[in-house]
Amino acid sequence: MISQDIVFSWLPVLAVIVPLVGTLVIYMVEYRSWRLRNALSVVTAAITLIVVLDMYPAIRAGKIIEANFPRIIPPLGMSFRVDPLGFLLAVTTAFIWLMVTLYSLEYMSHEHHKNRYYPFLILTLSGCLGVVLTGDLFSLFVFFELMSLTAFVLVIHEETPEAMRAGFKYLVMTIVGSLALFFAIVVTYELAGTLKFSPNGFFFDTSLLSFLGFLGYIVGFGVKAGMVPLHVWLPDAHPVAPSPASALLSGLMIKTGAYGLLRVIYNVYGADLIQAMGWYNILIWAAAITIFLGSAVAIVQDDIKRRLAYSSIGQMGYILLGMGLFTQSALVGDIFHIFSHAFMKSTLFLCAGAIIYKTGLRKIKDLAGIGKKMPITMGAFTTAAMAMIGIPPLNGFISKWNLSLGALQAGKPFFVFLLLVSSLMNMIYYAPIIITAFMSGDHINDDHAEHETDKKRRLFGEVPPAMLIPMVILALGCLVFDLFPENLPLYLATLSARLLFR
Amino acid sequence: MLHLPVLAVVISLLGAYLIPLIYHFRRNLASVVAVGISGLALCFSAATAVYVSRYGAFSYLLGMWSIPWGIEVYVDRMSAFMMLVISSITFLVMLYAMEDVRHELTEAPRKWYWTLNLLLLASMMGVVMAGDLFNLFVFVEISSIAACGTISVKGDRRAVEATFRYLVLSTLGSGALLLSIALLYMVTGNLNMTYISGEIQKAAFLYPKNLYAALTFMVVGFGVKSALFPLHSWLPDAHSAAPAPSSAVLSGLVVKIYIFALFQVLSRVFGPVIAGIPVETVVLLMATMAVVLGSVLAMGQKELKRMLAYSTVAQVGYVFMGLALGADRAVAGGMMHILTHALMKSSLFLAAGSVLYKTGKKNITDLAGLGPRMPVTMGVFSLAAASMIGVPLLGGFVSKWYLALGATDAGKSFYALIIIVSSFLTALYFLPPVISAFFGKQPDDSVGKGIDEAPAVMLVPMVILSIALLGVGLFPSLVLGLLGYRG
Amino acid sequence: MGIIDILYDNFHYLVACLLFLIGFHTMLTHSNLIKKIMGMNIMDTAVFLLFISSGFVRGGKAPIVGPGTEGPYVNPIPSALILTGIVIAVSITAFALSLIVTLYKQYGTLDADKIAELRTKER
Repeated sequence: MISQDIVFSWLPVLAVIVPLVGTLVIYMVEYRSWRLRNALSVVTAAITLIVVLDMYPAIRAGKIIEANFPRIIPPLGMSFRVDPLGFLLAVTTAFIWLMVTLYSLEYMSHEHHKNRYYPFLILTLSGCLGVVLTGDLFSLFVFFELMSLTAFVLVIHEETPEAMRAGFKYLVMTIVGSLALFFAIVVTYELAGTLKFSPNGFFFDTSLLSFLGFLGYIVGFGVKAGMVPLHVWLPDAHPVAPSPASALLSGLMIKTGAYGLLRVIYNVYGADLIQAMGWYNILIWAAAITIFLGSAVAIVQDDIKRRLAYSSIGQMGYILLGMGLFTQSALVGDIFHIFSHAFMKSTLFLCAGAIIYKTGLRKIKDLAGIGKKMPITMGAFTTAAMAMIGIPPLNGFISKWNLSLGALQAGKPFFVFLLLVSSLMNMIYYAPIIITAFMSGDHINDDHAEHETDKKRRLFGEVPPAMLIPMVILALGCLVFDLFPENLPLYLATLSARLLFR
Repeated sequence: MLHLPVLAVVISLLGAYLIPLIYHFRRNLASVVAVGISGLALCFSAATAVYVSRYGAFSYLLGMWSIPWGIEVYVDRMSAFMMLVISSITFLVMLYAMEDVRHELTEAPRKWYWTLNLLLLASMMGVVMAGDLFNLFVFVEISSIAACGTISVKGDRRAVEATFRYLVLSTLGSGALLLSIALLYMVTGNLNMTYISGEIQKAAFLYPKNLYAALTFMVVGFGVKSALFPLHSWLPDAHSAAPAPSSAVLSGLVVKIYIFALFQVLSRVFGPVIAGIPVETVVLLMATMAVVLGSVLAMGQKELKRMLAYSTVAQVGYVFMGLALGADRAVAGGMMHILTHALMKSSLFLAAGSVLYKTGKKNITDLAGLGPRMPVTMGVFSLAAASMIGVPLLGGFVSKWYLALGATDAGKSFYALIIIVSSFLTALYFLPPVISAFFGKQPDDSVGKGIDEAPAVMLVPMVILSIALLGVGLFPSLVLGLLGYRG
Repeated sequence: MGIIDILYDNFHYLVACLLFLIGFHTMLTHSNLIKKIMGMNIMDTAVFLLFISSGFVRGGKAPIVGPGTEGPYVNPIPSALILTGIVIAVSITAFALSLIVTLYKQYGTLDADKIAELRTKER
């Protein structure tokens, strides 16, 4: 049992307010000066990161930060509550967001509607941070909606017909999810009379209504998390977005769905109730199908971003699985995988973006030899892909190790087998990209006349440093934490797991 | 005794008849005076609301004749709330109309627009504060005629035809209403609501059939007037053919006045005997059909205002549902929805009116690409649409929240699901116009040239409505406090 | 008391019901707009009749109370109310007729079906 001192602090509020205010400021200055707009975007993201980091001492000391505002929208009220889980995700979010914002400066420089892109980028940060920093379901829902709706603008940024179609699908599915959540929250409030998270859940009700509420949560958060069969929007929406936005969508925003489910299972219903009623079975079997289908379909995709998107679905399956196994180490692996997948997938999408930025090529077979022209980009890509496959000492390995351990402890060896199969499939769909990129560069199809793609391929070199640095930092993030004796994210994940599940 | 509520009605009535006179001498002054009078009515209503929330319900005896001989005006928290809603929305819409009618109406009928609007204002406030059934009937009739007038004032054949059908059906409703009042009078010997309610138990024992007939006629009469689902056929034409500000008032307020009146009559008059009669089951059934089918029908519309009108059919279902569910939170939700829907639908209609004012186009597809050209108008439209769907922090979310909670309170979670389904349908027909406005393009580039934002006089009321929508979403306790609901 | 007696005693109600049905039928089945309005008026009249007759007391006098007069009086309230009702009905009729005039000018017909046909063509 860990002592839980509760301290009041404005920091979580500030972390949400800073990007909100930043958005307004950016919106007001952007028509005057694009330099100021870009600078402000980066500065806002940086300040947000600093604010989030400021919470570290309290978290390290084992305290829980709370801030309640019952006067807004009574009787529900807004409330903020930061425990190690929320803090870990908030730091990950703020850090990756800063990197992606830096990357955007160069990547977006040739795109249109930049004046729309930056304010919405920062606004979405506010929503995304809000989700992980809030202390009750209603506030979580509010920020969840804010994030989902503003992300729509990022998804359809290109405004091509297919982007519009994907965006509409995204929006419709988002609304399905948020209505399911709405229903679930109504049920919870009706049955429990409160919505505040508390350790081990705050109500015990085994009625049908309570079950319907739980289903509502699964649908509501499952849509966001890309759970099969609610994933239909994801493979369309993630690839059509501009690459930095795809990185955020795939790396961070879908995690909020998983985060929401974690809170619902452990802090709303309570692990005891879910275990006693066997409701977790829905989750783990859906997760199993998600893992398998996501990985299997990824193999047959030839668009690189689409393959990454399907890979995200498969990886979200791990996370959904981990929370339904109810063992300490599964939960550690689960939370750590949220963190590590965020780094891996955002690196991968940024690298894919770099390739598209330079060459405009998206088909995997066209990427032959690209590793020699863009060694750093492809190096980062390879690091992240290997982490994805689960090669030690990269961070993907640690999460998978813990997850497998948890599955064994839970007495469900089938899932260990599934994890292994899925890792194999990860290998099958990532290895060809790396191999094509590095190995088969020199022979250009001689039997064909030199066509467009070949011409393009001759022209490219490495992307500018403004894009390289964020990619490299993120790729190092997949590696560096695991080389030190004290793995801070793992420590936080262990702490969170202990707080959630005792 | 507080004179303000009665004065609010009286000055609006007087104003209605002064306007043509003023118009005769000073043309430009007429609209200003009309807006001023509605502003005054708003002040009186606000003062009444403050008074009622502080000292509770009161009744006012006209000419100091004691009841049952005199006429009683009864203002409780709900009526005060309704007065406030009515007068504030009317005031804002009239402000908008100052510019809009100049464009949408021809010279001759313009002065009548103001007269009719003030009459409508007076009669709506009269309906919500009437203490006896016959006064209720009279005010309902005045509001019917005035509402018809605000449509036909446009003068084109479509408006006139829609008005005629509205008038005929509405008169049918009035006939049913009067019949119901006659039957009630026959069995209880009273017209004052409190007195009937005292007698009704005895009457239910002696003449149950008369009472059932009265109840049926009452529901049908008000049902026709408030477009409860199978009786809604007049609404889409009437509301879409009217000039934009009239549509806003008709959709936002007029239909809800009748729902409120029905609710008042059912709870205050039939209260002691209603438990044995399955009237709420019937109303819930009709409301469910309204909520689902209204949205489905709205999806099939090409014309923006027709879509909004069908959406009103669906949203009226929510109000009926909330009031019929009967649980405290459901009633609070229903009353909240009267306010939030008034705010949302009037801002939607006013936005549609601005588009019509600037472009002359009325189809949904014509909105494409208008977002960047008319940012405020389309922003207001989008905000109201989001609130319709139920995005949190906006008013629509709050009313749906209370409706859904109320449904589960009443042990009928099924209706919570109906609300969810209907919200989804709402999203399906509100999203395409919003998306195409901001991210779509006109097929022909020359179409959008030279279109800019509507004049400030039209924008300000719309923006105020949006702010109010946000305010209700953030601080619903202000409204719920006025309704006397805590918790 | 036989059925005939009941019918005789409530003769005015019977007539009111009959009138109401006639009015209702006319209003809904005739496509001529003027006939619709006539049906509407007949219907209103039926309700008025019902209301007024409910206040009638057999053998009652006009309710003018002076020195030396004694009841029973006819109940004056329904009559007074129906006076208002008649005013409303008249104003609605006038409004409806004015609408019909405009419709005739614009569509050139008084037939509701033909107007509906023209209207659907327009859309």
